[in-house]
Amino acid sequence: MFGIASKLFSWVNDRLPIVNTFERHLSKHPVPSKVNFWYLFGALAAVTLIIQIVTGIWLIMPYSNTEEQAFSSIEYIMRDVDYGWVIRYMHTTGASLFFAVVYLHMFRGLLYGSYQKPKELVWIFGCTIYLAMMAEGFLGYVLPYGQMSYWGAQVIISLFGAIPYIGESLELWVRGDYYISGITVSRFFALHVVALPLILIALVFLHLVALHEVGAGNPEGVDIEEHLDDDGVPLDSVPFFPYKVLNAMVAIGVFGVVFSIIMFFFPEGGGYFIEMANFEKANPLVTPDHIAPVWYYAPFYTMLRAIPDPLGGLIVMASAVAIFFIVPWLDRSKVASIRYKGIYSKIAITLFGVSFLTLGYLGTVGVTEVRKTMSVICTVIYFAYFLLMPIYTKYEKTKEVPERL
Amino acid sequence: MTSLQSTKINILRTFYVLAALFCINFVYSAEGGPCKDYGECDEFKYSLNDIESLQRGVSTYINYCYGCHSLQYSRWGRVAEDLQIPEEIFFENLVFDKSIKPGDLMIGAMPKDSENWFGVTPPDLTLVSRYKGDDWIYSYLRAYYEDSSKQYGVNNLVYPGTAMPNVLLSLQGNQRLVCKNIPILAKNGGQKRDQSGNPITKEKCGFLEVEEGTGKLSKEEFDSLIYDLTNFLVYVGEPIKATRERIGWYVVFYFLIFTALSSLLYREYHKDYN
Repeated sequence: MFGIASKLFSWVNDRLPIVNTFERHLSKHPVPSKVNFWYLFGALAAVTLIIQIVTGIWLIMPYSNTEEQAFSSIEYIMRDVDYGWVIRYMHTTGASLFFAVVYLHMFRGLLYGSYQKPKELVWIFGCTIYLAMMAEGFLGYVLPYGQMSYWGAQVIISLFGAIPYIGESLELWVRGDYYISGITVSRFFALHVVALPLILIALVFLHLVALHEVGAGNPEGVDIEEHLDDDGVPLDSVPFFPYKVLNAMVAIGVFGVVFSIIMFFFPEGGGYFIEMANFEKANPLVTPDHIAPVWYYAPFYTMLRAIPDPLGGLIVMASAVAIFFIVPWLDRSKVASIRYKGIYSKIAITLFGVSFLTLGYLGTVGVTEVRKTMSVICTVIYFAYFLLMPIYTKYEKTKEVPERL
Repeated sequence: MTSLQSTKINILRTFYVLAALFCINFVYSAEGGPCKDYGECDEFKYSLNDIESLQRGVSTYINYCYGCHSLQYSRWGRVAEDLQIPEEIFFENLVFDKSIKPGDLMIGAMPKDSENWFGVTPPDLTLVSRYKGDDWIYSYLRAYYEDSSKQYGVNNLVYPGTAMPNVLLSLQGNQRLVCKNIPILAKNGGQKRDQSGNPITKEKCGFLEVEEGTGKLSKEEFDSLIYDLTNFLVYVGEPIKATRERIGWYVVFYFLIFTALSSLLYREYHKDYN
């Protein structure tokens, strides 16, 4: 019995590099032996992506992508489908935590210089994943067709209208109708469940292939490839299995605790994960008192609002995301990790973190004069962090990086 | 303690109070509260395991609200089952249309021309506890007052200009907005008094007061009726809420064990290279 199975396996393996690929990219893949908790969010992002795909497939089955039934089909899932509420809340909680994990993963990148040569492409694929996620999240948010779905979509789609010359036609083309309607919902559905997931999976694949080519970083910024053993394996590395897997298991456990506390006890996340207004069916005649994006877009929404001119706001908002792509060429430091960078870098990243969080907070509340001034100040700090990077990283005193990890 | 120390502590305290005030102001300055003229909404704590409260709530709902407000995402049989009301009793007493089956949705009994009666179609209330919040409902239903300038002779502090008449008027009685003399507090926290020792008061308006003897229920009875009704609306907004919170503990517990075991294993393997 086993004889036949192993023969069959080796027959396949002779024609398809199963063992080789598995060992190279998983079981024996060398990873730095000393990393900290910041290095676990990548694994968590992968776990969340899988949760989103699996729960998403099950949500498609009872969901109806028509103007008349989109909203009620969600309630049907919540009430009449067996454990439909589990699947739906997993998907909504997963969406928010996906962003949370990815934001932390990106911040790790900025902290430890995970974009520096030769990791530029890993970083760029990562930024593209983030961009695709933003689109995916927005499209998905429209599908329940609640009040906030409708009016949020109205605000976001009208941004296209701010583009000169082609704006209005572009807006019409995206919406597929003169106003947001069932046509918009069904095309967003197609994009949300087929087009963007395909793009996301392809990008994640590229992100990982590029990462495995250049090797994972570490919080010291030491190049572990410099010291290899006789087999060409870095001395300061351990095989992915079981060491990294076990490390990730602990992270998944903690993540599971956080995930289930939110999902079972606070699925609306205090109105930040599922907004209260979205429990009311979309009504084109009534604008909600206060249109706020979900928390993960809030920092960029604040920037949009901080600029009085719509086109200017759009440019600022788009640049805020786009600027991540050129970070590898903005950082002129000799060292990668914040541990060995100088005082200016440390001040800069602290200010950046604080301003990003403040922008996020400001995006979820109404506008007052004070808050408007604050959003302008924070937007300036946000951009200053990136634009001044070539200067402060070049002219600051850095510490000596050790040879080994 | 020296006086210098106590001054320092006082300065620190003042600083904290000011900082707290600043933060509160920062958060609330743009939005008026959701309960409008009522001020802060009254806090509502649901108890979905109190089946009797839910049973009283559904009975009030069907008798006083369902005539106008449907619960279109909820099914009759599900409510009977979740609220542990035997189906025969439920259908006998709470379902007036005998053609209705347990699997039917509670789509309401409102005639088409209702919009002419109130100016708006009475909204479906299946999800009202989720988009308005339970605090809001609990406050709203208790904040009606007499206002002859309105079509139905009543207005509402929580929802000024509301189109809904006060259907619970016969139970609550006639509630009015009254003015009261409020004692003025002195800086030290005590009451301010005039020279002959009588407290100095100031007239403040906007208090709700029920005219005695006009309603069938006392204030406490009426409040508890509204409590049960709100509790039922919380249930119907998310029927699995109680189940969800019960299962949640098991899942969290599972992940805690999972974390503990995997970190023990991780530590053991970590010794290999450290």
